[in-house]
Amino acid sequence: MSQKIGKQQVFKRIKISYLLIMVLLFCSGSLSAQRVQFNASVSGNDVATGEPFRVTFAINGNGSRFTPPDFTGFQVLSGPNVSSSITSINGNTTVSNSYSYDLVAVKEGILTIGAAFIMVDDRRLNTNPIRIRVSKGQPMQQNNQQPQQQQEEMIQDNAEDLSKALFIRAEVNKTNVYQGEQILLSYRLYTRIGIVDSRVDKLPDLNGFWTEDVKNQPQQVQWRTETYKGLKYNVADVKQMILFAEHSGDIKINPFEMTFIVRVAAPARDIMEQFFGSFKDVKYAVKSIPVVVHVKPLPEAGKPAGFNGAVGKFSIQAKVDKKELKANETLNYSVKLTGSGNIKLMNTLNVNLPTDFEKFDPKITDTIKEEANGVRGSRTYSYLLIPRRQGNYTIAPLEFSYFDTSTKKYVTIATKAFAVKVNKGLVENNVTAFSDADQKDVKKLDKDIRSIKTGNAGLNKIGERFYGSQRYWLLLLSGPVFCALAFVFRNRNRKINSDVVRVKNRRAGKVAAKHLANAQKQLAAKNTAAFYEAIFKGLYGYLSDKLNLTAAELNKESIIDSLKARGISDQLITKLLETLDLCEMARYAPVTQLSEREVFEKAKGIINEIEDEIK
Amino acid sequence: MKLKMKLNSLKQILYLSIFMVLPLLSFGNQQPDELYAAANSYYAKGQFLHALDNYKKILAGGTTSAGLYYNLGNASYKTGDIAAAILYYEKARKLAPNDDDIQANIRLANSKTSDKLDEAPEFFLTRWWKAVYLSASTDTFALVSIVLILAGSALLITYFFAHAVMIKKTSFYSALLLLFLGLAVIFIASRQVSYFEENRQGIIFNSPVAIKSAPSDEARNLFIIHSGTKVSIIDTKKDWIRITLTNGNEGWMRLSDLKEI
Repeated sequence: MSQKIGKQQVFKRIKISYLLIMVLLFCSGSLSAQRVQFNASVSGNDVATGEPFRVTFAINGNGSRFTPPDFTGFQVLSGPNVSSSITSINGNTTVSNSYSYDLVAVKEGILTIGAAFIMVDDRRLNTNPIRIRVSKGQPMQQNNQQPQQQQEEMIQDNAEDLSKALFIRAEVNKTNVYQGEQILLSYRLYTRIGIVDSRVDKLPDLNGFWTEDVKNQPQQVQWRTETYKGLKYNVADVKQMILFAEHSGDIKINPFEMTFIVRVAAPARDIMEQFFGSFKDVKYAVKSIPVVVHVKPLPEAGKPAGFNGAVGKFSIQAKVDKKELKANETLNYSVKLTGSGNIKLMNTLNVNLPTDFEKFDPKITDTIKEEANGVRGSRTYSYLLIPRRQGNYTIAPLEFSYFDTSTKKYVTIATKAFAVKVNKGLVENNVTAFSDADQKDVKKLDKDIRSIKTGNAGLNKIGERFYGSQRYWLLLLSGPVFCALAFVFRNRNRKINSDVVRVKNRRAGKVAAKHLANAQKQLAAKNTAAFYEAIFKGLYGYLSDKLNLTAAELNKESIIDSLKARGISDQLITKLLETLDLCEMARYAPVTQLSEREVFEKAKGIINEIEDEIK
Repeated sequence: MKLKMKLNSLKQILYLSIFMVLPLLSFGNQQPDELYAAANSYYAKGQFLHALDNYKKILAGGTTSAGLYYNLGNASYKTGDIAAAILYYEKARKLAPNDDDIQANIRLANSKTSDKLDEAPEFFLTRWWKAVYLSASTDTFALVSIVLILAGSALLITYFFAHAVMIKKTSFYSALLLLFLGLAVIFIASRQVSYFEENRQGIIFNSPVAIKSAPSDEARNLFIIHSGTKVSIIDTKKDWIRITLTNGNEGWMRLSDLKEI
């Protein structure tokens, strides 16, 4: 059964109803042999461009291989949307399937949707093509676009009125701050009129500040009511930031620029408008007034040596994960800096670790919140250390200095010191070949001249030198001179010693003196015999040497002759002989006429006299 | 070290005896010693200009020592006058050629000058021989030579008077050896004296100094050197001197731009 689409709606409906009746009658007549029908229908035959409509292909049975028609001139919004239904009434089951498309006509005119095909029990069924009249897009759609065009044309004639009704203020919680101190900057929107739309034109470039956006703001802008200059406003914080001044001086915070579309009252054009009030949307650009922040430099007085710009209030803690470990094992040293202030700028700490510890760059973990009342939280610096040598080490306290803005003073805080015991590592034991690699070169830090010489100045006259001076040559020559003198002396000695007679003659007195000394000793010891013998020997010896007579020649006659020849007086000779006789006699028999003392003196006297007289 | 100490004590004994024998030569140097101590304490406190002044006063008094020149050099260095520092160090080296501290500071001071000069290599025998005769100061050599000669003479005298053949023999040969060594030391000392007398050197005290091809201002500039550079003086013509650098370059410059070591 087909359906003819005509302009005469009434006639069409009658026709359809007739046809329906016929179909129903026919169907009732042949219920068991139901004919499969494949129809196409549209939601409307008259459509405008851009207006969506639906085309449905329905089949009261099971078909397969549905082939849709060509939708040229239309745009398929969705489809094919397949729906199927199974109905079972009094044992009669009917199945129907439909394929629908949502379409939009792209161009005007009369368009035709072609035939769709489907296979049912090896039969190919097709629908009739449908003609659709497409008219030009309706004015409704144009109305939707019109307000935007109007907005573009809007004139900002009443800007002055608006400036009181809508403005942005940049507010800082402090205008006199120290360098590095945190400031809260809020851009606050004040409005008394309805805002349709808004957009941010320009965020201020906050040169001279380190900025942190306040992050805990709710997604939705929260409005509150505030009275400002006698007028009530709806107020909202558009943007909040925390600023840290990077240098001292007066720093200007540039304006924050936004554009709003606001709804303002407009003159009524008709009665309805007069009654309900009319309005128009106006575009309006808003700028905040610049704010100047006076930044003071941090005081130089009392600035600690290790100060690295921390301003605020902080506390510090450190911990190590091991107190004892082996060399070449890892040790975790973590320092936790907690507080409020420019904590995010603290990238390094002045850790002083033992030099034998290998240190890696710290791993920094932040738990920092940017809130309206300041940046606060904690930053943890985890240092991975590897002690390379065994020994007992101390990780010195880590000092951290900050400027406390509330007391306006520098504060130095410190961590605890840690004692770490490093035992001998495995590598040191096993790998002997690497023992040298474990040693490190002594680092030379700087070069400088060696220090001055103190102590004895050892000053001399300029140009004066010991070498080549008179004294030098004199001292030098003294050696050879002494040598020469010694040589001369020795030669003379030799010459003298070579003359035996003279030597003996010289020696005579000495020999006699020796014997006489012996005699004196015997006298003291009361040894009479030995005493006389010594005197006797002394005299004989003396004469023997003096007169150059051998022991064999030594008799009284030769003595007398020799002495006479040497010019000794007879008297002295007689005296000598007497004494010699006495001594000879006394050796064998006691003598009485002279005491031993007298004999000794006599002998001595004789020798002296001979020495005097002899030639 | 021990030897040096021994030599020093010997030196002291010798000086003592000389001063006893020749009391005329012992002049009163109390004041320079005080100045020296004062200057050293200024230096220790870091007041280098005061130290420099005091050291210079001692020098103006007509007395000096290697230590004084060395300290003067240090004080000049610390006040930033590198050229003067080098001059004083070189003067100190002349009096004590083997002092490690002086050598080290000369090297460091030279590294601070603007002219980098590569020294022309010397023949290895020359270098060795130089190391021998610069191994001690002339005064040390003089003392050693006196000790050697006197000891040799004493042994010779022993030889003259000894009776035992063994003693005679050993004393004779050792006397000969000592006397020979003594003479050798005298020779070495004389070489050092002539080395410093023949090798006239100076330090440039002006910057920059153009080295000319001839002794006149109109002559071509051969090269430019800066203050602190050491040059050897090989010839003098009125107020012009002919110099060579350690790298072998030669030229003429004005005498006034240089201070002789």
